[in-house]
Amino acid sequence: MMGKMYRLPDPGLLIGGSVALLVLVCGIFAPWIAPYHPNDQELLFILAPPVWADGGSMAHPLGTDSLGRDTLSRLIYGARTAVTVAAAASFGAMLLGAFFAHLAGYFGGWVDWIISRTVEIWLSFPPVVLSMLLITGLGIGIDKVILAIVLVDWTRFCRVLRSEVQVARGQDYVAFARLIGFSHFRVIIREIFPATLPMLITLLSLQMGISVVVEAILSFVAMGVPSDVPAWGQMIADARIDMYYAPWGLALPIFAIFLTVLSFNLFGDGLRRTLDPRHTAQRSA
Amino acid sequence: MFIAILRVIVRRLLAIVPVFAVVTVLVFGALRILPVDPAQMSLPPSATIEQVEAKREAMGLNRPIWTQYSMWAQAAITGDLGESAQYRTSTAAVVLDRLPATIELVICALIFAVCVGMTGGLLIFAVRGTALESVGLVVTSAVMALPDFLLALLFILLLGVLIPIFPVNGRLDPGMQVPSYTGFLLIDAVLTGDFRVIVSAFEHIALPVMALGLAFSPTIVRVLHASLINTYQQSYIQQARLRGLSDREILFGQALKNAIVPVVILVGTQFGGLFGGTLLVEMIFSFPGLGNLMVKAMQTADLSVIMAISLIYCATTLIFNSIADALAYLLNPRLRNG
Repeated sequence: MMGKMYRLPDPGLLIGGSVALLVLVCGIFAPWIAPYHPNDQELLFILAPPVWADGGSMAHPLGTDSLGRDTLSRLIYGARTAVTVAAAASFGAMLLGAFFAHLAGYFGGWVDWIISRTVEIWLSFPPVVLSMLLITGLGIGIDKVILAIVLVDWTRFCRVLRSEVQVARGQDYVAFARLIGFSHFRVIIREIFPATLPMLITLLSLQMGISVVVEAILSFVAMGVPSDVPAWGQMIADARIDMYYAPWGLALPIFAIFLTVLSFNLFGDGLRRTLDPRHTAQRSA
Repeated sequence: MFIAILRVIVRRLLAIVPVFAVVTVLVFGALRILPVDPAQMSLPPSATIEQVEAKREAMGLNRPIWTQYSMWAQAAITGDLGESAQYRTSTAAVVLDRLPATIELVICALIFAVCVGMTGGLLIFAVRGTALESVGLVVTSAVMALPDFLLALLFILLLGVLIPIFPVNGRLDPGMQVPSYTGFLLIDAVLTGDFRVIVSAFEHIALPVMALGLAFSPTIVRVLHASLINTYQQSYIQQARLRGLSDREILFGQALKNAIVPVVILVGTQFGGLFGGTLLVEMIFSFPGLGNLMVKAMQTADLSVIMAISLIYCATTLIFNSIADALAYLLNPRLRNG
């Protein structure tokens, strides 16, 4: 029914991928793209409206905030913070989660029991609560935010990948690899890991979106990055006070988060449809 | 039959007791590692070093950590959760005071999410194979990219500031008072019979409920939609069609009963996320519930309150997980034989 549509390069993959790439480029080249330094204040232009509203000017295309800082520049530098956290935290969570998933799924028995119980205990905390608790203990800073996300979200990878590993473990080619005398380490790396790779990449893309949201939440409640580092969550918190006179200041960073998360989600869903043969088979049935 | 159902549920609830015990140990340990002195926190800033030292001795902070834990656990079983450093009263009283507001919010949000999610899922399924299905799925993805706290802010911006329909702060209009019969404001407001108070109470809870509920609904839409598509591939649906049942009878009489199982599991396992979402939503709407209390406690390092609320969050998540598990088991006869 849907099969024919998805034979073409997946539209989600294409659109999501290009928007995500755009955000990535904004983040990496922020100092060259942004018209101003994100913390430069122009006290003559406080709460300037964006260019399409009454009284807007091209000097500040998206307006300024309550301290006279250029919104566009802060959004672009905020992308840098968001992308840094998303990439590092998602990658870290993936490494930790995949490591334990392969241990649990491959060896089974008491190793599996301990890892599965640990995941169960971890999951009994709502993720937001756990990450805020960790930040209370760790203190604020970009590295702390990354660490907190890694420590909270590795369970997402572990739980899903563990069952993937178990499936791969039951395959004949894995038994064969053991029979001809490959070590456990080699079997896991060379035989099982490639089988779980599609799922791993898909989860990574979805986790990028989640990490962007968590970073925004933490900087929104002032438990994220230090106040001199521009972050979207922080811009929202600042603009909330002036939302009656300057609604755009609040709407724009919300839109930035929305767009970034949506692009990672579309990209992840597109990857899942493209990489997973079972899914394609189900769709066309 | 009834006893059998009860047995299934009780067995699953008993299974979470050891997990919960481990969680209490972990949270307790983690909070003691924090660079905060609970004795100093619970005394006025003018306290002398001797007073702090005496308080440390009284609170048992000089003893090894496992002794401290067993002291805490013994007190906790009798309902004594220590003293809140921020409010200088019993933690249990502070927490219980805020609990009904959050329960009310979460239950309303859950009902809202299930209604929106089920309607959305059924609508998108009803137009399957057409361009409208793709539109519906794109809209679902878009809403999915808006977490609850962003929705809360958007609603404030759209329905509170630009088109001021709903109030964005607190639980009642200023000056209104509701006598506390049950502790649940919505029920109490209805009990007063005063129409203005009832409307005010519902208006105040509308935006937080919509923000929390709408953030949760796209997942329900997706799972229900996918599960309906799977169910319709099974032969018993074909059979029903051959028997001449109408589309409506097939969907509501035959397919939905099976297709709903993944939704039940989803709601149970994701309930913790919904409950955790109250943290920010309550803060944004100045809604006097647990989440708001928790954010304040974390900012002021009020350890006993953090501990109590974390445990409530964990217990709720665990209980809902196991209830969903038990329900799925009862709804799906195939799991019972396996």
